[in-house]
Amino acid sequence: MGKTLQNRQENKLRYLPAIIALSVLYIVLLLLDNVLPANTFTLMLIPVLRKGAIYSLVCVSMNLLNGFTGLFSLGQAGFMLIGAYVYAIFSIPADQHAAVYQYFEGGAIQFSIPEMLGNVLGTNAGNFLGAIICIIIAGAVAAVFAALIGIPVLRLKSDYLAIATLGFAEILRAVFQWNGLGAITNGSNLLRKYTTFTDMNLQLGSITIKLHSLFPFLIAMLSILFIVLLINSTYGRAFKAIRDDEVAAEAMGINLFRHKMYAFIVSSFFAGVGGALLAMFQTTIQAAAFKTAMTYEILLMVVIGGIGSVSGSCIAAFLYIACSEWWLRFLDSGSFLGITVPFFRDGFRKVVFSVIIMVIVLFFSRGIMGDKELSFRGLISKLQKKSKKKEEADNG
Amino acid sequence: MKKTIALLLALAMFCCLFAGCGGQGGNTIKIGVYEPQSGDNGAGGKQEILGMQYANSLTPTVEIGGKTYNVELVYADNESSTDKAVSAATTLVSAGCSVVLGSYGSSVSIAASDTFAAAGIPAIGVTCTNPQVTEGNDHYFRICFLDPFQGTVLANFAYEKLGASTVYCLGQLGNDYDQGLINYFKEAAEALGMTVITAEFPENNSDFTSYLTTAKNEGADVIFAPCSTSYAQLIVEQTAAQGLNIPLLAGDTWDSNVILNAAQGKDSQIYVSTFYAEGGDPDFEAGIKEWIKGDATNLANNGGDDMVAAVTVMGYDAYYTALEALKAAGSTKPADVKAALPGVTYTGVSGAIAFNEIGDAERDTAYIKMANTETGAWDFVAVQGVN
Repeated sequence: MGKTLQNRQENKLRYLPAIIALSVLYIVLLLLDNVLPANTFTLMLIPVLRKGAIYSLVCVSMNLLNGFTGLFSLGQAGFMLIGAYVYAIFSIPADQHAAVYQYFEGGAIQFSIPEMLGNVLGTNAGNFLGAIICIIIAGAVAAVFAALIGIPVLRLKSDYLAIATLGFAEILRAVFQWNGLGAITNGSNLLRKYTTFTDMNLQLGSITIKLHSLFPFLIAMLSILFIVLLINSTYGRAFKAIRDDEVAAEAMGINLFRHKMYAFIVSSFFAGVGGALLAMFQTTIQAAAFKTAMTYEILLMVVIGGIGSVSGSCIAAFLYIACSEWWLRFLDSGSFLGITVPFFRDGFRKVVFSVIIMVIVLFFSRGIMGDKELSFRGLISKLQKKSKKKEEADNG
Repeated sequence: MKKTIALLLALAMFCCLFAGCGGQGGNTIKIGVYEPQSGDNGAGGKQEILGMQYANSLTPTVEIGGKTYNVELVYADNESSTDKAVSAATTLVSAGCSVVLGSYGSSVSIAASDTFAAAGIPAIGVTCTNPQVTEGNDHYFRICFLDPFQGTVLANFAYEKLGASTVYCLGQLGNDYDQGLINYFKEAAEALGMTVITAEFPENNSDFTSYLTTAKNEGADVIFAPCSTSYAQLIVEQTAAQGLNIPLLAGDTWDSNVILNAAQGKDSQIYVSTFYAEGGDPDFEAGIKEWIKGDATNLANNGGDDMVAAVTVMGYDAYYTALEALKAAGSTKPADVKAALPGVTYTGVSGAIAFNEIGDAERDTAYIKMANTETGAWDFVAVQGVN
């Protein structure tokens, strides 16, 4: 805190490398969407990047609970399910309802927000704004459910909280699959034909700029930014105090229940947003996919990244998605670099993947980042230190 | 130490990046195999792939536009899950497949449909029976019958041959296949004047006693349970254990040696509707049995014996339908194959295949088979159509 008097010039420059890096990333994404030709590499890269961005957001939202507030909650998949369904339900075009809700006479909700906005603002703008509104509704509904479930559940501690939230997610899945609600949720069947990433275009006069990959990154970045600001605020400090010692935190005058509730609601809101983005990414959504296994997958990413590190969660999410969906697929294909390997066949990928995860958990038990954050300043100063050390070594 | 491991891991991952860029020599055409090889439907997916692999071993080349091409099957495991569908489908797109075969399970097919559509690659559904797979798409085709048809066929069978008046329908909650088929069955059965009671069991349920007791108490004449084989096995065993003596009726998923093994030596009646009946083509069957037995991997993928599943036959036919499409297209470009597919006709082991305007094969018959609890084989019962 003593550094508050540091000159302002430096403070302004502090975020410069990060801003430059982000702009480079966004330009690359724009190029990927609009200019670069589709080949073997970019075709695989694009979905991995999109899904990685979505999972980063979900991991960070889980980390807010598990890593920063010390609440071991396993309800992530449930809140994502709410988000995904709310998003899909409100953005299926009216003329597609009969086809989607084939067993439920076209369903109960007969409007689509992107379509209604599209009629006023034009298709592209309508889709863009409509999607954002639907995403916010998705998050809000997830947050409302979190508030309701939080009242009884947040009085529990550690393992009991985990079990209660896990059960909640499972109950939620069963409710969404129940035929009695079929007119809204389509029961056990898929929801599809709603607004997806490929509908995200920017219309500038006669030029259409595709935002297909930029969109998930934009939403994920804004959400993560919000979470980071929250963590660094007084609320965030209260969360960390609760994590470190509940009794001490209470003695300091922190209202435990209220702060736990805040963390739970914010985390669930962004899990809902992540679910909505996942729905956009997948182009179809089915409750059956939101199993406990999905929560474990997210938890694994958080642990690999480092519990209590936002940047660690992001890095781990991208690495995990890239490994499971892309880099390790060759292990199933039967040959490696032209050599046929007999045990390289279906399922072998998962074996190797598990081994890698075990190695990470055994040798890097604190994850990639521990509880540290990746910052460009830190990186630069580390490099400077290293070169200094080298100089010293050379001189000595 | 840590750094070395980290570096090694990073290096290994980096190597993997280039793993896909292996040498492609000569004239090779790629056919994508989009099937589950793990997850709930992994067993069925593997059996379906066996049919394609057998067909590929018999006919490894195809003549397109006067040139002979080697056919390479490219596999992508969709893990029976819709959330893995997009990336699995993208793997096939990025591998440069001209046409895709699959999948076992309709929801994964629907989930991948948009990815194939965006890439302009046609897909041939092998045993996905949900109408939504092909509806409103011009790139998804299908060689099997549909759920509305199958549901009606089964209802007719229950009414005419089993003389049922009350049917107890049991499906998995959250499984669109179970619920869809039950929905169509119910429609047809109620039209015939039967009473239909429906029930859902949750995922990973292993005790069906209460459901079966309810069926008995409700006076059900038939239990219709078109669920996946892992649950089917338990239902078969528990029905026999309770001595219910109510016939079990199911759709194409139950046409599997898993069911036969479960039913063997027990007092149970099991009827299934399926795409193919044993003995339809003895030469083909002898050949594929020989091929399956000749390789330990194939035998393992087929569930440990040489019983030919209907899905294997469908996979076999799908491969040849794809070859016909490639020949008709006269080019390896996905767009040409897509344009040629609606006009493709092929007479396969499972019957004649011709596509209608939606992209579905015209199928007007289903085979009903009954599990022989003594020999552990399927006995042909009837060819059932829709009246």
